[in-house]
Amino acid sequence: MKNRLIVGLFLAVCLIQVVTPLSMIIKRENTLNNGQQFKFKTAPVDPYDAFRGRYVALRIENDYLPVADQKEFIKGQTVYALINVDDQGFAAFTAAVTQRPKGKPYIKAKVRYVSQGKVYLDLPIDRYYMEEKAAPAAERVYRQRSRRNKQDAYVIVKIKDGFAVIEGLYIAGQRIEDAVKQDIEK
Amino acid sequence: MSKRAIKWLYQELPALVAKNILNQEAADRIKRYYGDVKSSSKIAVMLIIGGTLGALLIGLGIILLLAHNWEDLSRFTRTVLSIAPLVAGQGLVAWVLLKRPGSQAFTEGSATFLSLMVGASIALISQTYNIPGDTGTFILTWMLLIIPLTYIMNASLPAVIYLIGITAWSGTYWDDPAKAVLFWPLAAITIPHFIWALRREIYTLRSTMLSLVMVVCISFAASFSLGKTSPGSWVVIFPAIYATFYFLGWQKFNKITTNWQRPLRLIGAVGLFILAFQFTFRGSWQYLDRYAYGLKRNISGFGALPDHIITLAIITMVILLFYDNLKRKNWTIALFGAVPGLAILAYFLRESSIFLPVIIFNVYLLALSLSRIILGARNNSLASINSGMLMLAILIIARFFDSGINFILKGLVFIIVGIGFLVGNVILARRIGGAK
Repeated sequence: MKNRLIVGLFLAVCLIQVVTPLSMIIKRENTLNNGQQFKFKTAPVDPYDAFRGRYVALRIENDYLPVADQKEFIKGQTVYALINVDDQGFAAFTAAVTQRPKGKPYIKAKVRYVSQGKVYLDLPIDRYYMEEKAAPAAERVYRQRSRRNKQDAYVIVKIKDGFAVIEGLYIAGQRIEDAVKQDIEK
Repeated sequence: MSKRAIKWLYQELPALVAKNILNQEAADRIKRYYGDVKSSSKIAVMLIIGGTLGALLIGLGIILLLAHNWEDLSRFTRTVLSIAPLVAGQGLVAWVLLKRPGSQAFTEGSATFLSLMVGASIALISQTYNIPGDTGTFILTWMLLIIPLTYIMNASLPAVIYLIGITAWSGTYWDDPAKAVLFWPLAAITIPHFIWALRREIYTLRSTMLSLVMVVCISFAASFSLGKTSPGSWVVIFPAIYATFYFLGWQKFNKITTNWQRPLRLIGAVGLFILAFQFTFRGSWQYLDRYAYGLKRNISGFGALPDHIITLAIITMVILLFYDNLKRKNWTIALFGAVPGLAILAYFLRESSIFLPVIIFNVYLLALSLSRIILGARNNSLASINSGMLMLAILIIARFFDSGINFILKGLVFIIVGIGFLVGNVILARRIGGAK
């Protein structure tokens, strides 16, 4: 009897243990399949420190917003950054609001810090995972780009209801994985 | 009586009967009185350690294999492969629960394996979907998913992993004590298991390990989460925590026998002495109010409430334990555990004069070390005498270095303290020898 209870409890725990990662997957798959696509320019991360082990550290260009009353915002607070797309097809933030906006594309983020009338965003786009052995080549490709002073790296992000999932990292219009493969073949 | 002593006695019994010192009836009565000693043989302990280490290595190996050539796999394949180790771990645990429920080695090993696989699954999914680096959330999710295993399987290693995990989690919020303070209710989840393990005699390695991890994790978590809302309150919080360890180490339900197996008592006592010694210096009281370890902004009002509640809870607990020892006339234990009470007194007195706290703790340490020496002499305990003399020596030497006395006198003090040690030990050794 006691044994049966334990097995029952264990099955319940197993279920929770499986459902947790599955729900992470489903939420992201849903966003990737049904979300709206945006292109964000990435700021040149220090090229000598772009790789932290298995991923590329990302920073979105212009990840801050001027606000009228900076007292309204404190560090760690949840904000909604409204997104606008320019003529070249790149997305940029237009305003930070504290209420969930309706009918407009936005990204849910946290306030990293507030300074001189600007709110700096802690965006959920901060890393891109790559294979460890590709890292040196990727770093080389990344550094060449920043040497030519061309900021042509961008990420493609799918957004649904303010929830963002990265689809790919691109350098000069090419997926970083392909750029790395070419570099290795050379 | 300790298990080892009973075992020794049982070994001696046949010889004693053979030499007619005891008759068979008396030997049987002795055996009935002490009962069976279930021995946890060395092999069983090795099996548990080996099984757990094996589970660890296999788990890590699987993660490495999966991470290799990861790029070339489709997202679907990666997802399946991320969940697979988790399900494999669950299968293993289910098999142990059904087929080997009594085996400590299988239980701990499989529970450890599953605990690691849960983390591996979430980490692999985080990679596939480039999930932002929120270490705190990752650790907390992982820990909450594994802690039920401790209770379902009566396994201690998931609890150990959990304690270390939630400590790391509270560390990620070291500048946000309102969140870090949640460590305490999270840690409280392990207490029933902890008490259960302490009550069991058969397997002491486990309770030692649990107490050790508990003591270390609580020390770290206290520095992450407490005392940040009112600067200087650490002078009460840390003595209260170490005194609680110390008192709990003396509680009757704690059946651990040898000294190294008593981390609660040992670390509690050493921590209390170090704190009390630190409090004998003027500097630690002088700059008290300026010190709130690196926290820049002030937290007050509602946000400070959890900090205050936990602090008060710890202080209440230590006062109750202190009172309990007074009531039972455990004077020596109570004296060692008096540090938090004195710290509270000193905390309030320091405003009228900075010298009062310093005097209190100098007198206290003097009384404590002398009491240990006297007690040791009375009970013929070398350990007690030497610990008392060591404490006295540290106190005397510190005070001499504080003062502007010249080197010759300082040197003389060292020599006198050294002679004191030698003479004390020689006298006691003779007395113990004479008693025999």
